[in-house]
Amino acid sequence: MPRLEPYSPTPAARAGRIVMTVMPFAMGLACVLLSFVPLGRIVGSPLTPAFPLMAIYYWAIVRPEMFPPLAVFAVGLIFDLLSGGAIGLWAFVYVVTYAVVISQRMLVVNAPFSVFWVGFLFAAAFAGAFAWAIISIIHGMFVPPGSVARHMAVTVAVFPIFVMLFGRIQTRVLQGN
Amino acid sequence: MDSNRTALPFREFSHRISLVFMLTLAAALLLLGRAETYVFDRARQVVTDLAAPLLEVASRPVAATRRVIERTDEYAYVFDENERLRAENARLLAWKEEALKLQAKVARYEALLNVQVDPAINYVSGRVVSDSGGPFVDTVLVNVGSDKGAESGQAVIDTDGLIGRIVSTGPKASRVLLLTDLNSRVPVIIEPAHYNAVLAGDNTAWPRLEYLAAQSAVSPGDRVVTSGDGGLIPAGLPVGLVIQTSDGGLRVQTFSDRGRLDFVRVLQYEFPSQVKRQDPPQVLKGPPVTSAPPPGPVTLPGPGTAGTNTGSNAGGASPAPTAGAQ
Repeated sequence: MPRLEPYSPTPAARAGRIVMTVMPFAMGLACVLLSFVPLGRIVGSPLTPAFPLMAIYYWAIVRPEMFPPLAVFAVGLIFDLLSGGAIGLWAFVYVVTYAVVISQRMLVVNAPFSVFWVGFLFAAAFAGAFAWAIISIIHGMFVPPGSVARHMAVTVAVFPIFVMLFGRIQTRVLQGN
Repeated sequence: MDSNRTALPFREFSHRISLVFMLTLAAALLLLGRAETYVFDRARQVVTDLAAPLLEVASRPVAATRRVIERTDEYAYVFDENERLRAENARLLAWKEEALKLQAKVARYEALLNVQVDPAINYVSGRVVSDSGGPFVDTVLVNVGSDKGAESGQAVIDTDGLIGRIVSTGPKASRVLLLTDLNSRVPVIIEPAHYNAVLAGDNTAWPRLEYLAAQSAVSPGDRVVTSGDGGLIPAGLPVGLVIQTSDGGLRVQTFSDRGRLDFVRVLQYEFPSQVKRQDPPQVLKGPPVTSAPPPGPVTLPGPGTAGTNTGSNAGGASPAPTAGAQ
């Protein structure tokens, strides 16, 4: 009777698995970079959506095991380093928001898109209010909340476009996982 | 026993532990970050320098798209714009004559009073390659780094006026703190009455005027320029116009448009701290006086009394100032 050789994945299969593992984090990083591309200048506005928050929310609901807290922290920290603001602000806000989203995940997972979107509305409102409270404490003054409100409103408005994009990538790349 | 059944609770447990750990780490970082240590500054510079080339490449299509949109707009209003420019050109020609006369007069007075004139300011041009990204920070990255002579504190202007100052530099890119940022403080003068104030950003589009004397008669529409106090930013750079908010407070509408930043200049201004001793001339030669007979030359006291008011001079101008730096 012929003996079967123990299974060992081919280099291509290994590479594919690595790509699948790092893909959500890579998308998070791409979202961080996209936040600093002056897209608003096309229409003469300084407003830019919070792209990393979209990635964090999406993966926290859809595949939380592929976007662990370490990835959320790293995305927030890189955003802080690039933005020139308070170090740790968005790392902290994103990790807390991620924890809140994970705790309420069962309400949104497998629900219609409208529920998914409303869930994001609450997540964005929470993240914006939390960041605003921290920054007001840091500066010891009442920071005008207008800019963060506009920032989060734009983020919620463009969220469906990015959900489509993330969904496509998830279907194409992560289907076999 | 199925191994997946035991792996699932363990995975969930490790996920929770990891979450708590990251929460603690992020909170600690937030507190430590307030110390503004060298490690964080260095990390910022490294990340910024790594990201700057990527952002520069990514910002090019954005700039190109914006130009296309602007061109389309311009074509739509080309006739009206032409008319407006003709009228403005006629107005500016009259102003040009006036400006040339004033320039000649000021040059004569400067020569007469032996004024210490500011040295010429070198500049480096660059492009804004990134947006601030967050709602609480108003900074942008420019592709001018320490390789091209950029340094912390240098003023950055665009075609409209001052936009901010450099707060950190790497070899390839620098971070510019805009006038509207919460941490921005710029000493300014409100013309024409020359009231001193500090322009303070507060995360809105219209920075506040702080430390303005209570009895100062500043009104909406007054022009705001840099005062040069502190020696960091050159004096006289246009900043904006005073506006009044609905609650009666005074703010400034900056000339530069935060949403349209593109090409900028980094001014390599150096405060002339090493001022050469300038003794007033022995003989003052005033501007030509046509109506009255020219007075005879005024002899000033010797160099030992340099810096004191002379009391009178030939041109009837104000007393000679001390050899000031600006």
